[in-house]
Amino acid sequence: MAGEVTRTPDENLESLIKEADTLKARLEDERLKLNDVTLSHVAERLDMISLLNVKPRRVLRGHQAKVLCSDWCADKRHIVSSSQDGKMIIWDAFTTNKEHAVTMPTTWVMACAYAPSGNLVACGGLDNKVTVYSLTSGENVSSQNVSSQKKTVGTHTSYMSCCTFPNSDQQILTGSGDSTCALWDVESGQMLQNFHGHTGDVMALDLAPSEIGNTFVSGSCDKMVLIWDMRTGHCVQSFEGHQSDINSVKFHPSGDAVATGSDDSTCRLFDLRADKEVAVYTKESIIFGVNSVDFSVSGRLLFAGYNDYTVNVWDTLKCTRVSLLIGHENRVSCLQVSPDGTALSTGSWDCTLRIWA
Amino acid sequence: MEASAADQGKGCTSRPLAFDKMEGLVREMQDPETGVPVRCQKLFLTSIPSAFMGYDLIEWLMDRLNIEESVEALHIGNLLCQYGYFFPVSDTKNLVVKDDSSLYRFQQTPLYWPWQNNKMPDNVEYAIYLLKRTMRNKQRHGLEEYEMEALNSLKSNLKNKWECITLQADEQVKKAKGMKKCDKIVLDSQERAFWRVNRPPPGFLNSLEYVPIPSRSRSSKPKKRSIEDVQREVDFLRRCLDRTRIKMSVALESLMQYCEMFCEWDPMVTPPQPSNPWTSEDPSFWSINSPIVEIPTEKRVRRWAISMEELVSDPTGLQEFTNYLRKEYSHENIRFWLAVNSLRRSSQREIPQRVKDIYSEFLAPGAPCEVNIDGKTMERTQQELKNPSRFTFDPAAEHVYTLLLKKDCYPRFRRSEMYKQLLAAGVQPSAKKRFFNFGPGKKKNQPQALLQQQQSTAASLSQQVQQGSLAGRRRGSDRSLSGSAHELAVSGVRDKDLNRTVSHSHSQSNLSDIPYRGDLPPACHSKVAPSIWSSLDPPGGSSDEGGGQARSTADDVCPWDSGPPRALAPEPTSQVGRTSRKNSSQLDSGGSSSDISIAIAEVSTHDGSCTP
Repeated sequence: MAGEVTRTPDENLESLIKEADTLKARLEDERLKLNDVTLSHVAERLDMISLLNVKPRRVLRGHQAKVLCSDWCADKRHIVSSSQDGKMIIWDAFTTNKEHAVTMPTTWVMACAYAPSGNLVACGGLDNKVTVYSLTSGENVSSQNVSSQKKTVGTHTSYMSCCTFPNSDQQILTGSGDSTCALWDVESGQMLQNFHGHTGDVMALDLAPSEIGNTFVSGSCDKMVLIWDMRTGHCVQSFEGHQSDINSVKFHPSGDAVATGSDDSTCRLFDLRADKEVAVYTKESIIFGVNSVDFSVSGRLLFAGYNDYTVNVWDTLKCTRVSLLIGHENRVSCLQVSPDGTALSTGSWDCTLRIWA
Repeated sequence: MEASAADQGKGCTSRPLAFDKMEGLVREMQDPETGVPVRCQKLFLTSIPSAFMGYDLIEWLMDRLNIEESVEALHIGNLLCQYGYFFPVSDTKNLVVKDDSSLYRFQQTPLYWPWQNNKMPDNVEYAIYLLKRTMRNKQRHGLEEYEMEALNSLKSNLKNKWECITLQADEQVKKAKGMKKCDKIVLDSQERAFWRVNRPPPGFLNSLEYVPIPSRSRSSKPKKRSIEDVQREVDFLRRCLDRTRIKMSVALESLMQYCEMFCEWDPMVTPPQPSNPWTSEDPSFWSINSPIVEIPTEKRVRRWAISMEELVSDPTGLQEFTNYLRKEYSHENIRFWLAVNSLRRSSQREIPQRVKDIYSEFLAPGAPCEVNIDGKTMERTQQELKNPSRFTFDPAAEHVYTLLLKKDCYPRFRRSEMYKQLLAAGVQPSAKKRFFNFGPGKKKNQPQALLQQQQSTAASLSQQVQQGSLAGRRRGSDRSLSGSAHELAVSGVRDKDLNRTVSHSHSQSNLSDIPYRGDLPPACHSKVAPSIWSSLDPPGGSSDEGGGQARSTADDVCPWDSGPPRALAPEPTSQVGRTSRKNSSQLDSGGSSSDISIAIAEVSTHDGSCTP
């Protein structure tokens, strides 16, 4: 103890950094000890996946600028999407009708989300805010009406990059360029919890798929994937491996693993119980970054949207690409499997959204 | 070569990694030995210097990147072209690669590659370039209209620098005059292609568009970390070291098992029955699988047996489970658990009241629905109650969930007659649409079943189940004759019934409970509460409470169930209404698809109306 008192703060910092490095090395050793097989080896016994004939089934046209984000409604057919020019559109994707259009007082609306009830949507972007709009049901709601029923719930100190309602209309979880995530009370706008730990812009987050789940995952430009306890606000687990910004994270439907998509043009799978990376999905012919990933409902397929305008479909177990979906005419910025797994929505800088099935 | 590309990459922190990869690839392409063959190409009578052919490029890419389908190679070729690493010799406007003998030329000097030295070419350079062209042969170098406009606006914006700009342009034109013709052609085309990429004509894709996110400038100079930050990291790493890990093989095996088990329910792997609405334009899959249905499909019921999580995450599953527990007089556990879940998700303002309500209903001594938790958990909860929060009852709920619900109630539910009957009654939608030829016997049965349905407006669950099983037997006997649309029509009606009845009293449930008691194997319930089986009539209060519970379940667990059934079970009329709205609005394609859905909607209207 006495020794520590005489140290200068710099020395103290240095020794702490050293200690952190030693601990990191030990941690890596521990992980390696249990690294007895590789996924593609174990998956050899599986049959090749018989790929269904996935084709574009709908094109949603109406945005005048790049589509940046979209989210499915729990009713399995409505979609909310947001774009670079500040427009947010609610679609009936099945009929391709637009049901509401909202103009935001900002450009680059990078995130939007449907509440579980389908009665609210949230969005935000370069305005640093998360704004909630109520979509009261009824046929006669004009878009102006929707705009008037809005409420700013939370404000970050940099752009808001992602948001989601954590199984509740009453709360909203956001990630931001200020490198934090936050949980907000929708009604009061109170910040219920914030999550410090990333050292770069948070680009994506996803909720653990359990009903009682109190954890979520976030991915950031600091190349780290962090798992958080929503109750305590503590980071409980971290994964590294990517060589560039992480643009997308998604929980495996089992809740035991997370998939990530990065600017380094790879997708990766990290297992929470093995506490390490278990697969890398990459191919020599893929050189552009991944913007968005999502699993099919069994977790067998991973869909990934790339800056090279394509969607690659990966067999998560055999680590092979099973399909390449070409159709968009610019970057695929967002992608999501519908809640019942019957369709895949993609949004692109070519101003359209497409539904594949 | 590889190394120099990597070094450059390090300098440009804000540049996406893809540029490093493209540059690496293009350098390899330009290798005189192993790259794409570049030569002076003869085209009719003219010769075109330093060019390569489209199909040579595609072949090289397929070979180098192990690509199986030329479409993918073509796609990559197009991207490299759009980013300006090479360009079509004879087309200055469209940056498109074709898999044929059309000619392309590399941007040999990396100065003309996109995103060099972390800066975009500035307007002064652009002005010099445009001005240069106006000083030269008009036929070959004349400016496009958009370039004229750009030059004029640059002239007014860069007034104070214009002299200097003119001087430089002049000099460059002079210099060019001394060059060999062949070199001049190549250089001119490269310069032109460079500006085509960096200043695209209006309406053309700009692959180098500035993106404000992520704000990478921040990451170039990392914040200095404070002692607290590092201390936090050290603590975190220590905790990580203590974490128990499982072997890779074990983890992977369980991931594989999960995927294999759920493949059957994955519409992207196994085609859904009767059909995927997005491909068939027939939304019956959705109406059969609405969140709350009276008779779930057999497949759905089977899923409930996988785990308790699967059961309770399905609103219908949760409802059946709750009803089962109500019959066993142990539904206070699930109700408590649901109440705590909804507490965690309710708005901050309501928390104190909700905490109070939950305590007085489930935990207070002598509470009406007291749940049974151990002393230690109770103590902890009492402690938490001093400072009520969203998480006050988490330990208690956890206890109830793992010890009572998951380890006791759920396995019993899975073994129960009720579950078996649900399974037997489950709808088996078939992909084949043979709904026009049901047998005569079926026609007689159907209205009867419907009649029963309508009589039981105060449908308690067991009644539903009984009818379900009846219906199931009927279906079982002539399943081959049953058609999906027919069943759809029926379930649609039932959906409506259910929605209407949720708020009704459940007073009849006592009576309908009776046959069930016989069905249950005695061993099952003797453990729980043997006393209840001695009396046929449940205590007076319970039925009303049951009604309330059904309501609150719907409210709390899945708010979207309580609202109007919206698009989930689209009624034919609303479907038509929607399409007509669509027609009136000025929308794009997809018209044909909605026509089909009208047709289908009409078919089902027809069907629905003839059934009762």
